[in-house]
Amino acid sequence: MNPAGTWDLSISTPIGKIKAVVDLHEKAGIWRGTAHGAGEEIPLHDVALDENRLTWKQPITKPMRLNLTFDVLLDGDTMTGTSKAGRLPSSGVTGQRRAD
Amino acid sequence: MHAQIVLFDGFDPLDAIAPFEVLHAGRVASGGGITVELVSAEGPREVVSGTGGLRLRATASLRPALAGIVLVPGASGSVSEPAELPDYDPARPPKQDEYIPVLLGRALDTALPALLKEAMDNPQVTVASVCGGSLVLAMAGLLEDRYATTHHLGLDVLDASGAHAVHARVVDDGDLVTGAGVTSGLDLGLYLLEREIGPQVAHAVEELFAHERRGVVWRKHGPTPAPL
Repeated sequence: MNPAGTWDLSISTPIGKIKAVVDLHEKAGIWRGTAHGAGEEIPLHDVALDENRLTWKQPITKPMRLNLTFDVLLDGDTMTGTSKAGRLPSSGVTGQRRAD
Repeated sequence: MHAQIVLFDGFDPLDAIAPFEVLHAGRVASGGGITVELVSAEGPREVVSGTGGLRLRATASLRPALAGIVLVPGASGSVSEPAELPDYDPARPPKQDEYIPVLLGRALDTALPALLKEAMDNPQVTVASVCGGSLVLAMAGLLEDRYATTHHLGLDVLDASGAHAVHARVVDDGDLVTGAGVTSGLDLGLYLLEREIGPQVAHAVEELFAHERRGVVWRKHGPTPAPL
């Protein structure tokens, strides 16, 4: 599956659920991405696509500083899976791809 | 030496009062070698704690340019994560027994994080914390790659914030000295007295308070222990 595009995510953090925007694109067979929020852009790390399973790592700074690891399954314009902050239990994450 | 203990809505009273009393006794024992006051990011005001609505009065604004100690207490509330976490919304009125990380998260939407950053950046300030106070610093992105402790239930959150969480009662990382859960504020206060004023003053206060400091103060120094 091709995850290219802009995704709106809902992420659970210890201080509550937050919204995040992630841009994904491919260049020469390598997937890259950036996270947007609170006027800053943060590159995603270790973006990997295996069939319809997408994984990446993302440090967030607002509203709280947190290192997150994502593991989601893609289905059309929807992604569903988990995000995990360090040793904390993983929590559900959902995302919707924006229409161009 | 001057110590500012920073109150914020939902703070844990014991986290603030234990070091306040220890440092104040240190003031007497040292003939004024250290002074201590309660402050808030917003200036003088009554600050409602997270314990039964108990209030303490902050008598001044937090001044991060002032040399000395800035000490951040944690919050008191529920330690059980709710089945469904609400959306992050610091504007929502607080409720009693709120989940502690949510309470701490509210403080991130005040002037406090910017003032704490100034304090962290000031080479003349030692920033200290008790219990969840280090999580306020960590959530604000101020403990990147720093060694710190917090309440044992919060160590995984601290670690996920980019800090190195150490399971010790007091951790000394130079200009950052952090204490673990609630009562460790007594130990942290005694250690700060010993470090900043001297061991005889710290010992006199320890004796007066009938509380012998527990555990080794962890520092990143000496050999790393092999697995036991």
